[in-house]
Amino acid sequence: MRALPFAYLVLAFAFIYLPVATLVLFSFQGGTLPVSPFDGPSLRWYREVLSDDDLTDALVNSLFVATLSSALAVTLGFLAAYGLARHTLSGSVLIRSLLIAPITVSYLIVGLGLLIVVQRLGLGVSLLTVGIGHVVINLPLCFAILYASMGAQQENAERAARDLGATEAQVVRLITVPMLAPAILAAFFLSVTLSWDEFIIAFLLSRFDVTLPVEIWSLLRSGLSPRLNAVGSFVFLVSVTAVLILEILVFRKRR
Amino acid sequence: MKHLTSYFMCTTALCFVAGAAAAQEELNALVWCDHTDPALIQPFEEANNVKVNLREYEGTGAALALLEQSRPGDWDVLVIDGIDVFRAVEAGVLAPMPEGAVSTADFFPQVVMEENNTVDGVTYAVTEKFGYNTISYNADKVDAADMESLSTVWSEKYEGRISIYDYYLPVMGLAAIAEGVATAEIGAGDMDAIGGVLSTMRSRAASVAGVVAAQTALATGEVDIVVGGGEWLTAVLAEEQPNLTWTIPKEGAVRWAQSIGVVEGSENPDLAVEFIKYIVSPEGQARLATSSCFWGMPANAKAGEVLTDAQKDILRWDSQPDYLALTQLYPAPDADLDIEMQDLWLETLQQ
Amino acid sequence: MTPAGPSRQGWGFLAPALIWTCAFFILPFLVMGAMSFATLEGRTLVWGLSLENYIELGQKAYLWRAVLVSLEITLTVTVVSVVLAYPLAWIIAYRVPQRWQRLVLLLAILPFWTSYVVRSYAWLLVLAREGVINQTLIGAGLLAEPVTLANTRFATVTGFVHFFVMLLTLTIYANLVQLPANYRKAATDLGANAFQTFWHVILPLTLPGIVTGAFLTFVLCIGDYVTPQILGGNNELTVPQVIMVQLGRRADFPLASALAIVLMALVTVVYLLSSRWLRLDRL
Repeated sequence: MRALPFAYLVLAFAFIYLPVATLVLFSFQGGTLPVSPFDGPSLRWYREVLSDDDLTDALVNSLFVATLSSALAVTLGFLAAYGLARHTLSGSVLIRSLLIAPITVSYLIVGLGLLIVVQRLGLGVSLLTVGIGHVVINLPLCFAILYASMGAQQENAERAARDLGATEAQVVRLITVPMLAPAILAAFFLSVTLSWDEFIIAFLLSRFDVTLPVEIWSLLRSGLSPRLNAVGSFVFLVSVTAVLILEILVFRKRR
Repeated sequence: MKHLTSYFMCTTALCFVAGAAAAQEELNALVWCDHTDPALIQPFEEANNVKVNLREYEGTGAALALLEQSRPGDWDVLVIDGIDVFRAVEAGVLAPMPEGAVSTADFFPQVVMEENNTVDGVTYAVTEKFGYNTISYNADKVDAADMESLSTVWSEKYEGRISIYDYYLPVMGLAAIAEGVATAEIGAGDMDAIGGVLSTMRSRAASVAGVVAAQTALATGEVDIVVGGGEWLTAVLAEEQPNLTWTIPKEGAVRWAQSIGVVEGSENPDLAVEFIKYIVSPEGQARLATSSCFWGMPANAKAGEVLTDAQKDILRWDSQPDYLALTQLYPAPDADLDIEMQDLWLETLQQ
Repeated sequence: MTPAGPSRQGWGFLAPALIWTCAFFILPFLVMGAMSFATLEGRTLVWGLSLENYIELGQKAYLWRAVLVSLEITLTVTVVSVVLAYPLAWIIAYRVPQRWQRLVLLLAILPFWTSYVVRSYAWLLVLAREGVINQTLIGAGLLAEPVTLANTRFATVTGFVHFFVMLLTLTIYANLVQLPANYRKAATDLGANAFQTFWHVILPLTLPGIVTGAFLTFVLCIGDYVTPQILGGNNELTVPQVIMVQLGRRADFPLASALAIVLMALVTVVYLLSSRWLRLDRL
């Protein structure tokens, strides 16, 4: 590596890690303000955050919404991709555009539209409506990933299974899903990541039970404190651990 | 963390957990962020074995719309700007307070505010907390004498060192006071004058900030003055940065007051009244006054027996008679003027 | 693709996703469209075919200026992010030894997993007058007085660029490593210098990746509320901020809907302009 690319790489990493480093550093602040001078290290704010029931409840809610909505999004996306890839349908281009369309729309618009409908129908908002919104935004991604990964290789295996008398359900369950497992997992974890971190839909479509980003937002609105740094650092730690475990256990093996 | 582990232990039994939680009585309250402090809510929950569900809101208009669109029984308690109680009553979202249920005998007489909380002789709400939107500043960086008059606060001298609190009513109230217009008398005809003051203020300001942004800006030296600030802004910073303080200029400042009432159609009116009684009790009042979100003076003077001397110092307990005399209530525009004021505010932000 | 079964079965597989998309995306979108032609009288909603909200948008300076502000910020962010991310992706793809590439790439996008709301707040701490940047520059003797960085458009753009550099590095990298190495070798063999190889061979081949990434950046950026709200200091308002004010302070759903439709129209224009190179179904 020559000097110039190396320097650029270092600068880029400095830029990328600057806010994270600041965040983590001041999460160990001893005093009540997350600004210099640094007077830690202290674990005071972590203790406070971990004993805050609202935050831990929100964390559980987030996990709940993220896993369930992602599982649904992957399932719907998989079925649609399979239907489109394996069957000749009239208007398939149109259907594909329709399924992809939510990607081109801001989350705010998806959330606002759902909020209006829910209110007009006189229904209440809850974690359920948040989950519905998250399926809407994640379905196109899951569909696109899975559709792109359905190649001739699986198709031949599917045909062979069919020739041997497997029913359509058996083909999907025993051939297609196992062969596409890496793509299915990738789509699932991408969905979980996006849902886990999504703010505006969760903000507009929830009432008493909220997800973590919404709880963090109300913390942020209610007073400057290293508690925010501690929450942020803790979430970062949890997510990064999950990412690294996945990277090592799931994706490394597949290569 | 104990919550987390227990949740994971019984993922399969989650439905049962939810079912058990539903069996407990619940109280749904639409509130300001100071009511979300567990130190305030938990004692009530434990004493009455209930679960209090809290949702914050931003503006009265949005809260009224939310209540009108909800099903009857969705909400039990509403915390609202004192000056907006009549709007809530007009919209039919507040229920009359049961006669004699809540006593205001121990309240500071100036903040009982019958005229705010009563419509046609019927009491719908009770004042719970008040404070001031005035000038917060960094005593190390600005001349304290300059802060004693509105005319010298947003002067050229402090160009780029001012932040404006992002809520149109109090800041426009301050602008009106600077122009010699009483906040209670603001009308459509005053918009030009107020707009002129806002525009000057804006041109000198570095930012227009919400609570945290304003606190961050003051604490990090981003700005030295917050117009619209007050004890609620600097009290939580007082411990570490005693140089961050506040004052009420000689022209006066704006006084905010929040009221609490029972929502019409509540399925738990008795519990709702119990909650309000707790909030205005000396203990509840002391906790509300020092809530982690923002501090403010309790309406009930008896809270003084529960608050520590240090807390009372920060709240400036002993100066209250002077402050009450010097300040005017929030402007209380009708619906049309309200829209005009909001538009003017947004124009000012976007200038 | 060859048909493997009757197309009725195909529709059976498609139905759940189609129904979901129609019920929870298309229908709400249409209702929102209708809402943008309704009006608010007091707090009563009056349905109709009124153009009032759109006229208001043209008349009130803070509304149409929000559209301009949003466009300016979004275009700046998109261009800056692409310009910064491309070399980074390039270096990772062609200069970092193969076995380190995945690790370096992972490291480059790791901060992606800090909570999104917290990330903007962290930038506020970095950019403050007593923040890391000012203190470092003053410490190095490069600055005498701290400069105001937080609560400005610069801060908003920085927060956005930080996020999108990570996103774009990923998409551009994916594109670059897919190019067969022979292409570059062939160009060099034919006498092209490094710049010519890049300009005539690599860039055209990676254009779809760039455009797709840039389009996603545009969509996500123009619709974002959190970053400008936390970092911009309300010194100017973007369309999402104005929408949230309409919802939060006066529950003016018709005007908010009209603004959302305008936002949608902007994205559609950009979509049409870039559709030649866009590969949304091959992300």
